[in-house]
Amino acid sequence: MTVLFAVVIALAAVSSLGVVFSRQTIYSALSLVVTVSMLAVLFLLLNAQFLFAVQLIVYAGAVMVLFVFIVALLSPDAEDRPALDLRAVIGGVVVVVVTALVFIAARNGITYNTGGFHATAVGAANDPYHTFSFPPDTVNAAGNVQTVAGQLFTNYLLPFEITSMLLLVAAIGAVYLTRRSSS
Amino acid sequence: MLNANLFPYLLGLATFLFTVGAAGVLIRRNPIVVFMCIELMLNAANVALVAYGRFLNSQEGQIFAFMVIVVAAAEVVVGLALITQIFRLGRELDVDDLSEMKE
Repeated sequence: MTVLFAVVIALAAVSSLGVVFSRQTIYSALSLVVTVSMLAVLFLLLNAQFLFAVQLIVYAGAVMVLFVFIVALLSPDAEDRPALDLRAVIGGVVVVVVTALVFIAARNGITYNTGGFHATAVGAANDPYHTFSFPPDTVNAAGNVQTVAGQLFTNYLLPFEITSMLLLVAAIGAVYLTRRSSS
Repeated sequence: MLNANLFPYLLGLATFLFTVGAAGVLIRRNPIVVFMCIELMLNAANVALVAYGRFLNSQEGQIFAFMVIVVAAAEVVVGLALITQIFRLGRELDVDDLSEMKE
């Protein structure tokens, strides 16, 4: 299980670098396919089966097919740029520093209970919330899809309906933007 | 039962994906790649939401991640429509060239 997590996290991180550093646009798109697929596997490992299916269908299916289609349609040229310019170096340093800071903070300081987040001192191992002792998976006892749907159609019904309106508006906007101007 | 020591690594992955996406948005000039980097950032938020939801034994993280996926799909549809329109106008696909609004 831990090995699987390590492999999935490493592949997601490496392929996300491929999105940014590939000079050919199609290689960026294919790297992003790998990234979203690995994140789908990560969702499955994190007991989010519904999101696993949604991620594969919406991202790896619809969105990435749209990206690859647009890349094939427009066939943009490869970017030519120096191998190591200043912006890339600054970006890399920022990525490494911020990731290290968040990792250290999550490992040492930030912990939580069900009442909210509590920042504790480094090494507060006797804090009961620092031990990460989680109850058994009672939340998913009825099955992940069923529990998510129960929440989605009761407590979060209004946001769910608003997302359908959002998709409708986006579809209308896309049709309006890509129509041939007949003036 | 999930090993709790994994949680910092998941947050680290989310932060890494977000910062790589942000750096890509700032560095790359091709608008299609810029949109892919925005997708990376949204996916990073999803990882954090699902990880927190898992370790707090709650379903809300997954529901918010679902909403984020919907927003990302809508954003891609409109963004790629804009890119095809830019291409149809005979413009080069370069975000540094698209600066008419500034002038």
